[in-house]
Amino acid sequence: MIDIKDLGIKFKMEKRKRAKALDMIIAQARNRHASHSEFWALRHVSFSVEKGDTVGIIGRNGSGKSTLLRVIAGVYPPDEGYVTVQGKVSTLFSLGAGFQPELSGRDNIYLNGVMMGFTKKWVDKSIDIIIEFAELGDYIDMPVRTYSSGMRSRLGFSIAMHVDKDIVLIDEIMGAGDAAFRQKADAEMSRIIGEKTVLMVSHSMANIEKFANKVIWLNQGIIAAMGKPDDVIQKYLDAYNVKKSQTDDEVG
Amino acid sequence: MKAENKNKVLGFLWSFLDPLLLMLTYILLVHYIFGRGGPQYPVLLFSALLSWRWFANSLSRSITSITSKVGLIQSIRFPLAILPISGIIIGFFDWLFGFIILIPMLFIFEASLTMHMLWLPVLLFIQLILNIGASLIGAVLGTYLSDLGNIIQFAIRVCFYLSPILYSVEDRVPERFATLYMLLNPFAGLLESYKSILIKGEPPSLYVLIVTGVALVGFIVGLWYFNHDEHKLVKAI
Repeated sequence: MIDIKDLGIKFKMEKRKRAKALDMIIAQARNRHASHSEFWALRHVSFSVEKGDTVGIIGRNGSGKSTLLRVIAGVYPPDEGYVTVQGKVSTLFSLGAGFQPELSGRDNIYLNGVMMGFTKKWVDKSIDIIIEFAELGDYIDMPVRTYSSGMRSRLGFSIAMHVDKDIVLIDEIMGAGDAAFRQKADAEMSRIIGEKTVLMVSHSMANIEKFANKVIWLNQGIIAAMGKPDDVIQKYLDAYNVKKSQTDDEVG
Repeated sequence: MKAENKNKVLGFLWSFLDPLLLMLTYILLVHYIFGRGGPQYPVLLFSALLSWRWFANSLSRSITSITSKVGLIQSIRFPLAILPISGIIIGFFDWLFGFIILIPMLFIFEASLTMHMLWLPVLLFIQLILNIGASLIGAVLGTYLSDLGNIIQFAIRVCFYLSPILYSVEDRVPERFATLYMLLNPFAGLLESYKSILIKGEPPSLYVLIVTGVALVGFIVGLWYFNHDEHKLVKAI
């Protein structure tokens, strides 16, 4: 379903600080060249995912987890190696990103749907289920900027669970909301597991253990370990000397 | 994206009011305070102002069109050119609203209603190509250079005064410079042509060929960049 060989993604360091025209002119005048240092967000990454797999991706902040999901979503083309994805991919559902803050929740569902290539008709048909599941009530017609982070991730999660795509990409929106919502979310995840191919980034080892049948641990853009969830998670936790229970809360 | 005006209380009304108030300001300033411009001044001004606003607003929107949609861009693959182009479409609706005001003005100020008005779609099409080219290039540069917005705002203001909007070329530009002026400022040909076909009952100025050339070059350069190097933009944000 997904086949990745020796993938490398390179960024220019300027990414962190966008250049200013004035700075460039001044630098030119002083005959200095702006430094063009590069860094690899991902390098020598190879793995494959079969249909129906649920892959958990773990690692510290900045280790390349989100970049990897973006590559699969088609956002970044590989600078090295190659990526083959068979099947239709959902948008990348991540906390806060991907929604237009000025538009209402309802309009954002339409926007997301249209961007994924669904017709308005399809969205019309599914929108009630999505809204109901997200438990947003009247807030659905309010601008998304007024939502709490819990509400945003509930909306994102709800769309992710209901889109008709072969591959679903989830970036840290699991474990959103209160206990009751989590229980419902867990049931929903269990429903789509096996049926769809899921790639999920999470800091909650409990969630990864619950759903994933394969885990990839990324460290500074390189796969540190990969394989059965228990083994990889144990190695990861040992490496940083943390207990599993400390990883459970991912959304503050 | 689809509803920039959604948040404003007056919403649609603004699309009418904004150009109207702007026009009234200039009429007050130029017509009454400086005592310039002939009897048809308001309609001449407004026809040029409308088209200028379409260009200027599309361009200034395009500068941040990509950097303001980071979340969306990083969530799904889609042709990024949609972002600056959607600003042009919004701008065209503003133009249409303005045109609704312009129609009665054409009668009030006794414009020559002739067959030359049929050139309007052609001129609009040339301007569309020009706007697309400028906005695509603006979007790329705006993504790489964070202070470009300020520079562009200034440049737009300068171009506004350099273009025949508040004045007409035949009135205000000395005759021996007129040709040079028309050659150097691609906008002059376009704006004068709008006035010619809508109000003066004349065919478009030949100088419109210059703006057509500039428009095509910008359009091709812009599209070429988005076709070849779009992924660089995605990484630059």
